[in-house]
Amino acid sequence: MYRAQDEVSLLRASLQGDTAAWGEIIGRYKDAVFGLCLGFMRNRADAEDLSHDAFIRAYVNLRKYNLERKFSTWLFTIAANLCRNKLRYRRNHPTGEMPFHLQGGTDPAKVIQKEDQHALVQQAITKLPYSYRAPLVLRFYNDLSYREISEVLSIPEGTIKTRIHRGKIMLKALIEKERDPT
Amino acid sequence: MTPRKHCVLVMMASLIVTMALPSTAQIPLHEFEQALHSIPVAQVDSMLGAIELGLNQPDFPAESLLRLIDRMARRPAPAIEREAVLVVITQAIEEGLPIEGMVDKAFEGLARNVPMAQLEDGLRQLRTLLAEVRDLLYARGVFSAAPGTQSAVANVLPNTRFNLLVVHISEAIDDYLSGGGSPFEGHLLYQEVHERLVQLEGVILDSEDVALVLERIDPSDLTQVALTAVS
Amino acid sequence: MTTDRLEDLLRSTLRAEAKAAEDRIADLEERVLLEIEERRPRLLWHEWLRQLLAPTASSRFGQLVVVGATAAIFLFVGIGISSNLLRHDDAAPKLSLQPVRFADGTQEVLFVLPALNAENVAVVGNFNSWEETALSDQDGDGIWTASIPLPPGRYEYAFLIDGRWWGQDPQADDWVQSFGQFSSVRYIGRGGEDV
Repeated sequence: MYRAQDEVSLLRASLQGDTAAWGEIIGRYKDAVFGLCLGFMRNRADAEDLSHDAFIRAYVNLRKYNLERKFSTWLFTIAANLCRNKLRYRRNHPTGEMPFHLQGGTDPAKVIQKEDQHALVQQAITKLPYSYRAPLVLRFYNDLSYREISEVLSIPEGTIKTRIHRGKIMLKALIEKERDPT
Repeated sequence: MTPRKHCVLVMMASLIVTMALPSTAQIPLHEFEQALHSIPVAQVDSMLGAIELGLNQPDFPAESLLRLIDRMARRPAPAIEREAVLVVITQAIEEGLPIEGMVDKAFEGLARNVPMAQLEDGLRQLRTLLAEVRDLLYARGVFSAAPGTQSAVANVLPNTRFNLLVVHISEAIDDYLSGGGSPFEGHLLYQEVHERLVQLEGVILDSEDVALVLERIDPSDLTQVALTAVS
Repeated sequence: MTTDRLEDLLRSTLRAEAKAAEDRIADLEERVLLEIEERRPRLLWHEWLRQLLAPTASSRFGQLVVVGATAAIFLFVGIGISSNLLRHDDAAPKLSLQPVRFADGTQEVLFVLPALNAENVAVVGNFNSWEETALSDQDGDGIWTASIPLPPGRYEYAFLIDGRWWGQDPQADDWVQSFGQFSSVRYIGRGGEDV
């Protein structure tokens, strides 16, 4: 209760130009937004840029935000739309970027089993089509309800459920293929 | 003649007339012949033969094909080049492929003032994709019911629905390749196809059809199809 | 693999990859606030007005002056804005955001293009065999529009601005390339919604 009120007063203060208040908001939400962008874009540089852009855009549009609505949903919608546009741009302007799992450079010889498994699943997630990947990230990273996912992606709730269901099936198949490419 | 025989004769006559009606509602072949002559084309007979085959296929886009030929006729380019473009389409008809996408692509190319040779190449690529995707679906156990028949089997789709899948999968791959995408990135190809089918699911494509296809085809299949199209 | 196991794996992988990259956002607050400060001059007059409105701790007289000044400003600005609005209301085309829907799912789809100095704007696409359908700009404000009834499906199109091809409509759902140039894509759904 205190926390929610606290957030509302931070938002009101931000609306009045209190940038320190906005900084506090960023601190509270940056992990969630970055994780969303990373999940969607599969690329650290893009995730970083888009997280930055999301907080700028949210600040500039704060006047349009309805304080009755859940702030996180509104913020995630902005981030998701930015990701969607960027992905569209990337599809039409392909760059020679390194695949996700090679970023960060882990020495294969030192990779412990758990990290290895994560790398495998990361690859599988990257291969998932966006329409399946996005709802899964929102569900299993951001822990959103079907209703919230539906709002963030502007897709009917029933469709979200179907995509999550099918997404899990496809992910399982992709993971198994990564494990045993024969 | 007894009243009963009279009735039977009248019924038979009406039946014959009704069966003949659909073909008279179609565009007559001679209109296509006239349009082709106004270009003019050298291979009139073989092209007309293909178009006649098409006119007997369900969902054949007769009206837009005729309009395309007319538009080609008005185009200031060597007749032989324009004919080459149209031949790609008539050959596709002979192969029993759904040509709406090809006709639309041709209209688009004309609107963009694309040189005839480039338009021909573009249409060849799409035609190859249509054929390869159709073969892929067959190979993965997704079939189309013979026109006029019905099937209770889930993986035998009515012709119209089957063709819609073939068209949209092919066009998705075509767009990807035209955008500079590599045929070797099977998972990217798959994402493109997936995106398009899922967007059209429940709109002009059946949900079950989309689910069926996406289950059965995989990224490496699409790489094979794409490689054949670009080679 | 059970569903629970899969979900756990998915969850832990997404968390691990975000954690592994957390250095990227270590100073995100600073960078965002810096950019906001840089953009501030444009926002400055907002600040000035806001400060004027904020209650001050000064004397009654001072407060009265502030209130009076504020009222005067509001009156001035208010008159300016409303006269502007009135003028626009008469002339501006009513760009309805609610598309007209028909029983079979056909929708009136609005195509909009700002093209300030154009003489002719048209849309070409797979709904008109890539032959031109003209847009109009009746009030001369540089915003060209056309409303075209389309049944559910996928539509590719582009604009022709004085004969020049423009294929990247920001209103589109997607952009694709063919013959080396862009065209735009819109999906029109059943039930009268843009998908």
